[in-house]
Amino acid sequence: MALFDYLKSTLLSKVVMAVTGVILVLFLIGHCVGNMQVYIGQEVFNRYAHFLQGLGELLWIIRIVLFVCLVLHIITSIRLKWLNFQAKGQKYEVKNYVKAKLTGRTMIWTGVLVVAFLVYHLLHFTIGVIDADNFSKRNMEYYKGEVVIAEDKVLNGESNEIGKLERQAETIKVEGKELSKENDVVLFFRPDAYSMVVKSFRQPLYAISYIILVIFVGFHLSHAIQSAFQTLGLNHPKYNCFFRAVGPWLSTILVICYISIPITIWFGLVGGGV
Amino acid sequence: MKLTLHIWRQKNAQSKGHFEKFQMNDVSEDMSFLEMLDLLNERLISEGKDAIAFDHDCREGICGACSLTINGTPHGPEAATTTCQLHMRKFKDGDTLYIEPFRSRAFPVIKDLIVDRSAFDRIMAAGGFVSVRTGQPQDANAIPISKEKADLAMDAAACIGCGACVASCPNGAAMLFVSAKISQFAMLPQGQPERKRRALNMVNQMDKEGFGACTNHYECEAVCPKKISVRFIAQMNRDYLKARILKEKD
Repeated sequence: MALFDYLKSTLLSKVVMAVTGVILVLFLIGHCVGNMQVYIGQEVFNRYAHFLQGLGELLWIIRIVLFVCLVLHIITSIRLKWLNFQAKGQKYEVKNYVKAKLTGRTMIWTGVLVVAFLVYHLLHFTIGVIDADNFSKRNMEYYKGEVVIAEDKVLNGESNEIGKLERQAETIKVEGKELSKENDVVLFFRPDAYSMVVKSFRQPLYAISYIILVIFVGFHLSHAIQSAFQTLGLNHPKYNCFFRAVGPWLSTILVICYISIPITIWFGLVGGGV
Repeated sequence: MKLTLHIWRQKNAQSKGHFEKFQMNDVSEDMSFLEMLDLLNERLISEGKDAIAFDHDCREGICGACSLTINGTPHGPEAATTTCQLHMRKFKDGDTLYIEPFRSRAFPVIKDLIVDRSAFDRIMAAGGFVSVRTGQPQDANAIPISKEKADLAMDAAACIGCGACVASCPNGAAMLFVSAKISQFAMLPQGQPERKRRALNMVNQMDKEGFGACTNHYECEAVCPKKISVRFIAQMNRDYLKARILKEKD
């Protein structure tokens, strides 16, 4: 396939690794900034989650781009790993690395953990297979928690009221007003992502597993980011202090931000109202 | 000083190698590493045994013939030094040393510690030159070159093609060597006419020889006896991408 011709060239393969990697890192930065809104409060966090869901086609374009990047990144890494394994041949009896760090030499393994984490994370917070009891679905029948109700005016952007859902058998009350399926009213649900996250991370199993896996993501990024600069030809004595330092620093900052969420929730510092 | 040596012995490329243990009791710390091996070989020859085969030529650190991976580091523990310039005073009395050939699939073992590095020659033949027509020699100062560029080109040209970069690389990549050979011309006006073609052809030949892909550990830079910088790899990447993706012609 012409699309995968680049795999025949080690240098082009490296460039594909770098470019797709950079796109994935940019996503991780954006995702981290979004997640930090959990510290502002339930309303802001839920509004953000709802905003993402409301992107519609744009959300799917972002998802497809990220998925393609991920697939290319994985395919290319496997191809390069195999090539490098072949090229290395017989191993040394004694090997003493002078400069190559452990984070760099374990990229393929931390990469496998990152993919495993991604699958786990999507099954948990996006698809809702893991910890399903706390998953906030958009489906009314299974809906638990907060709901934004609106009639046409909300959808038109005229109002943004939030009401508390009350359910009694077949009737649904919002702010005391009874609604039913027959009523010609538009129900507009907003998943309570905040409660979902809080309830999940109160369980030590989820909190600990996220903390550990995010740290592995950090190890991967620590080598990956500076590596991408070099592969894309960005190396200059004047700026190398930045190119070499940005990987470890950025990955450390991302890891701290990401793991702060399960830690603060686990210890009850965040999400007390849920 | 006394040393215990574990030296890789391999009859030829087809046979399976093994380590052979030698006890050295009379090593002078003023000897070079190769002189120490000479001493061992004299002993082996006098005992009617097969001498250990290892590469060497100038023994001045400039020809790139000597190799050896000593205790896991190509050219041994001293930075910016070839094996021939490594002295035994860098080791301690009673040390145990593992001496292995430069390992890489593209460098098959010929015998014992000698490997076939002709893959580098084929990469050079693919583009590591400037095409100069015969005729009157040009005035030396007719082409202005800045000091910075000249220095950088010289830094790249310092590569002696020993292959330590490949031997040290966890991926068996030859990118430091190839990039030095590309960059020594890329910095100079004389190298411009074939610049893109050179990058393309040399990198393609490198791939054909079965070298691995750089994952930016910079281990090559750390063990290089001539301290070739990995900035030349970035330079090579830029030239190759311009030639390959942008289809820029010379």
